[in-house]
Amino acid sequence: MAGASRDQVLSLLAAANNHGDLAVKLSSLRQAKDILLSMEPSLAADLFSYLVELQSSPESLVRVLLIEVIGEIDLKATGHSPILMSVLLTLLRDGDAIVARQSIVTGTKIFCSVLEELTMQFNLRGKVERWLEEIWTWMAKFKDAVYAVALEPGSVGVKLLALKFLETFVLLFTSDTDTEKPLAEAGIKRSFNISWMVGGHHPVLDPVVLMSEANRTLGILLNLLRSASSLPGSLIITVVNCVAAIARKRPKHYDTVLSALLDFNPNSETVKACHAASIHYSLRTAYLGFLRCTYPSIVESRERLIRTLRAMNAGDAADQVIRQVEKMIRNSERSSRELRVGKEDQPSSQLPVSGEMIRKRLVPLDDEQLANGHEANSKRIRSGPDAHLPFPVEINDSEQDPFSVNGVSPNVTVLDSQLAAVEQMIAMIGALLAEGERGAESLEILISKIHPDLLADIVMTNMRHLPMAPPPLTRLGNLPVTRQVGSLSSQVQVVTSSAPVSFVQSSSVTAQVPISSATATNSSMSDTVIAADSKRDPRRDPRRLDPRRVTVTIAEPSVPVVEDIGSMKSEFDDSISLSKPVSYPVMTSNENPLAHLTSKIKGDDKISESPPLCGHDQLMPKDEILEEPEQFDLIPEADENASLDPMLSSIDAVGDDLKTVELSDFVEINREDASCPVESDQYSPAVSVASASEDTSPELPPLPLYVELSEEQENDVKHMAIKHIIESYKHFHGTDFQQTCIVLLARLVAQIDDDNFIMILQKHVLDDQRQKGQELVLHVLYHLHSLMILDSIDKSSSASVLYEKFLLAVAKTLLDSFPASDKAFSRLLGEAPVLPESAMKLLNDLCYSDVVDCHGKFVRDVERVTQGLGAIWSLILGRPQNRQACLDIALKCGVHSQDEIRAKAIRLVANKLYQLSYISEDIEQFATKMLLSALDQEISGANLSLSGSTDQRVEEQIQSQETSISGSQISESTTSDNDSNAKQLLQSSSSLSFPEAQRLISLYFALCTKKPSLLQLVFNSYGKSPRTVKQAFHRHIPILVRALGQSSSELLRIISDPPQGSENLLTLILQTLTQETTPSDELIATIKHLYETKLKDVTILVPLLASLSKSEVLPIFPRLVALPLDKFQMALAHVLQGSAHSGPALTPVEVLVAIHGIVPEKDGLPLKKIMDVCSACFEQRTVFTQQVLAKALNQMADQTPLPLLFMRTVIQAIDAFPKLVDFVMKILSKLVARQVWRMPKLWVGFLKCVSQTQPHSFHVLLQLPPPQLESALNKHAKLRAPLAAYANQPSIKSSLPRSTLAVIGLANEAHMQPPHMSSSFALSDTSSSVHGATLT
Amino acid sequence: MKFRYAMVCSSNQNRSMEAHSLFKRQGFEVSSYGTGAHVKLPGPSLREPNVYEFGTPYKYMFEDLRRKDPELYKRNGILPMLKRNSSVKLAPQRWQENAADGSFDVVFTFEEKVFDMVIEDLHNRDHVLMKSVLVINLEVKDNHEEAAIGARLTLDLCQEIEAAESWEESIDDIVIAFEKQHRRKLLYSISFY
Repeated sequence: MAGASRDQVLSLLAAANNHGDLAVKLSSLRQAKDILLSMEPSLAADLFSYLVELQSSPESLVRVLLIEVIGEIDLKATGHSPILMSVLLTLLRDGDAIVARQSIVTGTKIFCSVLEELTMQFNLRGKVERWLEEIWTWMAKFKDAVYAVALEPGSVGVKLLALKFLETFVLLFTSDTDTEKPLAEAGIKRSFNISWMVGGHHPVLDPVVLMSEANRTLGILLNLLRSASSLPGSLIITVVNCVAAIARKRPKHYDTVLSALLDFNPNSETVKACHAASIHYSLRTAYLGFLRCTYPSIVESRERLIRTLRAMNAGDAADQVIRQVEKMIRNSERSSRELRVGKEDQPSSQLPVSGEMIRKRLVPLDDEQLANGHEANSKRIRSGPDAHLPFPVEINDSEQDPFSVNGVSPNVTVLDSQLAAVEQMIAMIGALLAEGERGAESLEILISKIHPDLLADIVMTNMRHLPMAPPPLTRLGNLPVTRQVGSLSSQVQVVTSSAPVSFVQSSSVTAQVPISSATATNSSMSDTVIAADSKRDPRRDPRRLDPRRVTVTIAEPSVPVVEDIGSMKSEFDDSISLSKPVSYPVMTSNENPLAHLTSKIKGDDKISESPPLCGHDQLMPKDEILEEPEQFDLIPEADENASLDPMLSSIDAVGDDLKTVELSDFVEINREDASCPVESDQYSPAVSVASASEDTSPELPPLPLYVELSEEQENDVKHMAIKHIIESYKHFHGTDFQQTCIVLLARLVAQIDDDNFIMILQKHVLDDQRQKGQELVLHVLYHLHSLMILDSIDKSSSASVLYEKFLLAVAKTLLDSFPASDKAFSRLLGEAPVLPESAMKLLNDLCYSDVVDCHGKFVRDVERVTQGLGAIWSLILGRPQNRQACLDIALKCGVHSQDEIRAKAIRLVANKLYQLSYISEDIEQFATKMLLSALDQEISGANLSLSGSTDQRVEEQIQSQETSISGSQISESTTSDNDSNAKQLLQSSSSLSFPEAQRLISLYFALCTKKPSLLQLVFNSYGKSPRTVKQAFHRHIPILVRALGQSSSELLRIISDPPQGSENLLTLILQTLTQETTPSDELIATIKHLYETKLKDVTILVPLLASLSKSEVLPIFPRLVALPLDKFQMALAHVLQGSAHSGPALTPVEVLVAIHGIVPEKDGLPLKKIMDVCSACFEQRTVFTQQVLAKALNQMADQTPLPLLFMRTVIQAIDAFPKLVDFVMKILSKLVARQVWRMPKLWVGFLKCVSQTQPHSFHVLLQLPPPQLESALNKHAKLRAPLAAYANQPSIKSSLPRSTLAVIGLANEAHMQPPHMSSSFALSDTSSSVHGATLT
Repeated sequence: MKFRYAMVCSSNQNRSMEAHSLFKRQGFEVSSYGTGAHVKLPGPSLREPNVYEFGTPYKYMFEDLRRKDPELYKRNGILPMLKRNSSVKLAPQRWQENAADGSFDVVFTFEEKVFDMVIEDLHNRDHVLMKSVLVINLEVKDNHEEAAIGARLTLDLCQEIEAAESWEESIDDIVIAFEKQHRRKLLYSISFY
């Protein structure tokens, strides 16, 4: 058996080595591998020597496969074989990159498995087998070889893998025990690292050496980075990625890596040949990756990372990552907590409902970019009902406290292990608390020493005992502590020294608890929920004040409200860039009786909202505190008060955020009141001291520290507060803090209806427009809007007044202070919660109305109009409610009397708005209405001043005028020149000027371009439209038609069936269409069809003549001739011009022949017309040249019958070109031969011609038979004598027959002619002699 | 050498599918993915997109939208696009869930955010295969015309990459030359499977 398989393997290996076919080689090797794997390891090992022969196979694929086989054999533990390892090493240096790469891959796998095996063996049995040791030495060689590959010049592809190996190496030999395992690594298979090696001195592996080797390796990688200039980009990027991966997975190296990366500056010099942008991006990715990590050491450098990223223009991405991470932490934390909390939470019946609701809202608003966030959200959905958990505060803690170490390690077991310690600590704290003031100091020290983890656990453990409804006092005492812990741990990362403060807070809270609980117990749960809900919401997200949402919130019972918050929050988390969503309502719903706690929490929230601040205590006098002093001064009594005073204690506790404290007090009051939970919302988060005093009803209970202020004082306070906020705001560029300021300012605006304030704010907005100004404005607007919606009638009116005022003021400021190209104005309108009438009016004014400048002149900045129209466009797209109003403005501008504005508006309407299905109908209707109104106005106006008939007559006149002008010239100016009379007449009759007509129809024509079927109406109305409108049509049509092109099917359709009276329009269109291009076959066919069927007017064919063939032109030629002379001339030009490829339809000769071919009777043309046409042709001497004439005449002379006008033409020809005389004589001779005397009409002409051309015609004359000669001489008696003289010449006379001579009278002399002739002879003789004298 | 390509955009509808379709026609081995949380298609307004889960067949979306407003979706090209997509593959797939699809040699993304997510996702995966993957971002606006242009450019770029003996050596040159020729910005990165 064994022998057989051995033979089989040998033959297969031989085949793999020697066979000619690569496929066979590969499959043989695979089979051999299968058998080897199934064999006894020892037997298989014998065969390895044959196997390794393949390493010299010329086929690289075989070598690759060989490595794979080696890997499999090795990993299957059939035996690590040194022989195989040597192959691996050899092939590592293979010339073929694929082979080398495969050996690195396989080698790495083997490396890991060997290392694991080594460790396992030692850990389990305390010793290591020898063969394994041997392999390990091979592995060390392999490692060195890979290092060499990485560093020495060679294939970049191989180097990439070598770098990857280095990364793996560092990871393997860097312990990860000093930190908790990051989430990402959980579940990774190859999670071996040096920390697995426990106890004893390992015979082979010396952890210290290996770890230092890992450090050295990292050094190599970082060195590569330093020498980046000589590396290709792919290597640099891979190095960056590798070291980043190391830093993320082994925080121990983080600092080294980070500083190396920060030092690495891939400027254009160092990475000349590389793609610098990608290298930069790899750094950016690395930093963002760090931000995602939650190790303390990485978290500490967060600020630095963010700064660096900002410098790389990746601040947004950084913020986003931070948010994601926070969310992830929260969720993992929550889920871990839920585990522990068990099943005691809410009725499960709520779960699906709320989840569904949230999902619904979530879905459309989610932001693609935050996939992680999404997962987080879905988790959040699941935990929606948590709102009713007894441990809400924890949740809040975690949410506002991304740094909490707890969040890093959701590992329940770890926490559990600490529980015992936790219990002890709780007991200790409890004892200290019991001591009151005396214990405070110790407690402070104690808490400052507690590790944040532990502190958090203490809090949580304690929370477990917290009951649902009004908790007993002892527990209440703990609750605030929890909060402190939350804030504390959030600060630990930033300022460790803040720990003591939290103690102060906790102690003070303990003191205050009785009172607060006493005051607040009355309030019902749902009230609180609503109050808290609406109270929190606006603070976090102005958009949520959107009326729809808020109304829903209020209308629904408490539970949905809570869910709602959840969903909003998540939306908000996803979509806007506010930094820290906190689900306060959730908390409050449980804590409702503890108003002061709420306030405290809020205070904490404030703090944690602005990470850089440390305003908790005086030790850290940072800017946050700046915000306060004035207000603080207002209540000096409070300072002196004992800590038992609830208000003071909150002040102490919160320390830096007086307003919030006030607010909470106020909220509490409202709760007491319980009747107006919504009302409280109005004054919610940012209510100042002053406003609180205004609004609190006098009978409200105990809050003793109520400060009465005079109105003046109030105003002062307000202004100071605002100035202060704005001032501090300017100095802050941390997003979180600015956020707070914005929110505060928004609330203040709502409180202070004061122009002065609005002015200040405006100025600020302008200063800060580029950054946060817009955001601030929106906050204000949304807040005001929410007030409008939420408020009772009277309040809402004041809020809406303020809203309007503010919006307009800001909008105007934006207009005034920024160039027209600025988008801020448009954005403002687009994002404001609602647009009041006045805003629309502003827009209208901007676009439409005339602006009068200080000199009383109309000025209009067209740029502004563009801006306004731009805004309108975006509003139409984005604001369905205002769509109609905006559209109205746009349309109104579309018929604006000022051309420039109209053109802009039309462009907007036709190009953009008309594409929108929901308004295209309206646009069309409006344009049609305008078009029709142009017609109606005109007609009615004309009828008023003139009788219809006159009007019509004049119009006809004009029409004929217009049509007689060649196409390109048709325009009102020509018309007016030609027919100034008519024009004047009409102008006096018309109420509608040409520009006015233009104004009304332009829009419609613009739409026609988009929707050619609209042209139908133009055609339909053309016939009955008055002159100015027609002029306007004429002006638009060419542009339109050119835009449509001749292939527009709609146009062709209309052309194929033009309505009555639109012929001129049709002609114009055809002219336009054919002006620069050859008409398409389709067009020609359409027109021809039209001509043949419906419209017999040949005029329409004129523009096409050039493209018609001779056979097509000839039949219609008589019709062309019948046209008015000017039109004929145009047609003639077309005919002669012809098309580029087919040449002219008719040559001039053919034209002449054709003209002469017309028979007046048959073609229904008066002869006069034909004669005119002929003359017209003769006038064009450049076309109808001498040669042309000669040729034409020659052709015609052969025709039977001869053309009627032939002789006339001959005469004209000789008139025009006297040089043709000889040619004409030949023609005449021809005619004699054709017995011209038999054609009476021609005969007359013949004789006339002969007489005109004497004496050249004499020989022709003499060719006539005697009777005809006789008659000729009778008709033209003057000819006789010269002819006789001519004939009398001896040479001629001799050639003449007697009869002829007899007619002339010469025979008499020689042959005794009849006597009656002699008398005439004498006469002719004398005359001929006279004549002859003149001739010679 | 035959590469396996992945085209990635956010919803696996327009840009990635345009490229997928083109590459498929050209005989490349190609897959396509989206990195978003959901598949989002434009709706009647900006605020009302149509949202589907990944894995919802294109055909289903097609029917759904045709039922909702055939005119609108025909005009804005969504229906034709879905039709095209359904002829390419069954349903949009999510990048983050594509581990089972094996490793790719070259991944194209058409948006920086998507690029980020793909890289981040690759970094978080377990690099057992030690197979390098080239990730390239070509910024393409999410509309039909740009997508078509983007797909062509991508094809050009791929042909360049395939023509190179080893992209690891020449990727810088290829990218720089491409940027110069087409005046489009590229980003690339390298990760491992």
